[in-house]
Amino acid sequence: MSVNEVTWQPKILVFACNWCTYAGADLTGLSRLQYPATVRILRVPCSGRINPQFVLKAFQKGVDAVLVAGCHPGDCHYTTGNYFTRRRFLIMRRLMEYVGLEPERLQARWISAAEAPKFQQVITEISEQIRALGPNRKLRDEEWKI
Amino acid sequence: MEDLTLVLRRTAKEILEKGEAQMVIGWEKGAFWYSSTSAFISKPEDTERLIWDEYCVNNLAKYLLDYRHKEGKVAVFVKGCDSRALNVLLQDKQLKREKILIIGLACPGMKDEVEARKLGRGSSIPLYKKCRECRYPNALNYDFFIGEDKVIKEIPAQDDFSEVQALESLSPDEKYNKFVANYERCLRCYACRNICPACNCRECIFDRTASGWSSKANNVSENMFFALTRALHVAGRCVGCGECERACPVNIPIMLLNKKIIQDINALFGEYEAGTDVTAKLPLGGFEFTDPEEFM
Ligand code: SF4
Ligand code: SF4
Ligand code: SF4
Ligand code: FES
Repeated sequence: MSVNEVTWQPKILVFACNWCTYAGADLTGLSRLQYPATVRILRVPCSGRINPQFVLKAFQKGVDAVLVAGCHPGDCHYTTGNYFTRRRFLIMRRLMEYVGLEPERLQARWISAAEAPKFQQVITEISEQIRALGPNRKLRDEEWKI
Repeated sequence: MEDLTLVLRRTAKEILEKGEAQMVIGWEKGAFWYSSTSAFISKPEDTERLIWDEYCVNNLAKYLLDYRHKEGKVAVFVKGCDSRALNVLLQDKQLKREKILIIGLACPGMKDEVEARKLGRGSSIPLYKKCRECRYPNALNYDFFIGEDKVIKEIPAQDDFSEVQALESLSPDEKYNKFVANYERCLRCYACRNICPACNCRECIFDRTASGWSSKANNVSENMFFALTRALHVAGRCVGCGECERACPVNIPIMLLNKKIIQDINALFGEYEAGTDVTAKLPLGGFEFTDPEEFM
């Protein structure tokens, strides 16, 4: 597979917690707030469900960036799930940066169900960062090599 | 250490004769003068095989898992690093404390087998890197202690993260190229996992190819997936015993990943030395409301 540098669009995978960010994304649409069509949203029951393996697999299968998104601390539907997420991804982001992934390619944000403008702004921002970086070639499987 | 060998044998013999344990796990002389290997002794007369010398680097703690469902007790000899490994197994509730008898040792540091082979008998053989850096040479949790429980080795004031920091200062592409260069060699033999005390899952995801997480294909992407996943699985539980690196047949510097995580855990969540306190809470098994906030 080769990349056409002219038509290439970033592919960003968002792991969105069902109770906040997913609803936030919904509200973004309902409010007619435009955001780039570079994202694929994958709903998870809680940000605490996001296993680091999901993220690694996504990079293997060809995404250019991953956003981990959940409820603000204190607001987790399961009370404390996101505090575990926080520790886990503070470590994982540093590890990924350490092995050479650009830090922009793995990010985490707290976005509530009411924060449609924040969702719009975060997605726009990440899209622009990734567009500037270009396609991710790191960690990719043979099948998805570019 | 020769005198201690005798004490060690006597202790093991007594334990077996009195029936305090059904088996003693220790070391015996291996095929070469620079190798000592694990010994599983269940007859009092066989305790003569046991030794304690500067090549007893094998961490015996993980063998306990093989006997956890057997009747009776197993006795095991532990150095400082082995003791930390054993503590992690206890913290992970993989072992019942009452089923094991721990015999602690004061470790002078173990000699590097690879260097010994190169330099030859009679020359001065350097210690393993992990031993030069070791800050807990003595067993920390034991039923008996052989010799005197006092430190007989030089202790560095701090853990050495200089290699990690050197890597951190490189550009993303430089870092990535180094990572690839290391892991394109990986054979996925899983020796690192098999020897690791923190890798104590009954079913490892890398044995379950049907789950789709990891295939048997040996390519650099799968290898990196393995390396990063394993590093994250042992995060907060890796005791820095260096056994993974020693077991690796292609000399991958696995500790570079483990040490990075140890360094970051210390910086983010407070100093934590895995396995030094059997009652401690695991750093990634909990949280504080006051943890650093970067995700706003
Ligand atoms: S990852 Fe390596 S250094 Fe850490 S506990 Fe396992 S074998 Fe020891
Ligand atoms: S690699 Fe992960 S799943 Fe496999 S034994 Fe180690 S910790 Fe368990
Ligand atoms: S021991 Fe070395 S070669 Fe074998 S799986 Fe581990 S890192 Fe790869
Ligand atoms: S329910 Fe949203 S982070 Fe836990």
